Amino acid sequence: MSAEDLFGLASAAVLPGWLILMLAPRGKWRWLDRIPALVIPFGLSALYTGLILAHFSAAGGGFGSIAQVRALFASDWGLLAGWVHYLAFDLMIGALMATQMDRVGLARISQAPLLALIFLFGPLGVFLIWAAQGALRMMGKGDAA
Amino acid sequence: MNTVAKQYWALTGFAMAMMAAGLIWAAFEARQFQETLVWIKPFKFALSFVVLFATLAWVTARLSAAAQSARALKWTVAIMAAAFWFEMIYIAAQAAQGLGSHYNLGDWYHQIMYGLMGLGAVSLVVGTALVGWVALRDTDARLGSDLRFGVGVGFILSCVLTLITAGALSSMAGHFVGTPPAGAAVIPLFGWSAAVGDLRPAHFLALHAMQAIPLLAWIVQGRSMARGWIIGGAAAYTALTMALFVQALMGLPMVRL
Repeated sequence: MSAEDLFGLASAAVLPGWLILMLAPRGKWRWLDRIPALVIPFGLSALYTGLILAHFSAAGGGFGSIAQVRALFASDWGLLAGWVHYLAFDLMIGALMATQMDRVGLARISQAPLLALIFLFGPLGVFLIWAAQGALRMMGKGDAA
Repeated sequence: MNTVAKQYWALTGFAMAMMAAGLIWAAFEARQFQETLVWIKPFKFALSFVVLFATLAWVTARLSAAAQSARALKWTVAIMAAAFWFEMIYIAAQAAQGLGSHYNLGDWYHQIMYGLMGLGAVSLVVGTALVGWVALRDTDARLGSDLRFGVGVGFILSCVLTLITAGALSSMAGHFVGTPPAGAAVIPLFGWSAAVGDLRPAHFLALHAMQAIPLLAWIVQGRSMARGWIIGGAAAYTALTMALFVQALMGLPMVRL
């Protein structure tokens, strides 16, 4: 399979996970909760493991400078590994945040856009959730979010 | 804490988080839209939502258990939440691309989104009036009867005045009446034109009737003429808002600087 094929496959694989997080009932069926929290991220982590072991040693690649990171991502395979990393971790974090937001009783109408933001821009959504929690705690309304 | 007030507090928190995001954005941003840095508009809207939702949270937390559990109130907070997320995400996403949100009729996508923003804005002010109506009728609310009266009058008045001023705003091609010359003076902090007519000051006053009138009620509550003060204050506030509105429609700035 080409890098392009795997890219399409991995990107499509997370969509059911995000749809479940945004729309499906939670805490009702254990197997359903585990699809975004465990099953899909585990599959993508396995794919990443193979990709990174085979392609990390790209010429000039490393984590020490922008130039080294660019070298890692210079090939389609290296870029694919990086993308799968995003897909896997964003979904995992999304599932974790969903559980937390359930715990404080945040309505799904507010959870869904936050999850969409994590899907698209990972840390941006996490920032909003944590900043909101921090602000509410400072006001003594910590149980609201 | 009841769930309706809790959701309003949560929305207050998220609007605060968006203000923080705007300030961090500012550190990296140099692009301008209509002579204003692009992060300013989402920041101003986030601030406005903080004030709106904190006011609603404060009031709904004091309603009686029966009023709090009314289905109408639960629907109101849900619809307002949807409107908030839609407005903020669209405004921020457009700003991040250096594009306009209101008055952006560039193609069918932006026309639809501008229309939906109008729908969202109407939901927000009608929702506010609904909460005001519930408070007005909730004799068991943990608000003194004068304060409750002020909340009801202020929230409903805010809705009516906003529908008038923002209705006029949306029927025009922009918030100016006239064309300010490049680099023309603006009112500090607010950014309203100090050279030509600008409908935003009247819109601002209209929105904040929901804080001004309850605040007046809080000050005068318990006095023998409290209701009279509240009604008189509401009438004066309406007159001032309308004066600014007509002044702007005539193409005159609020103050010429």
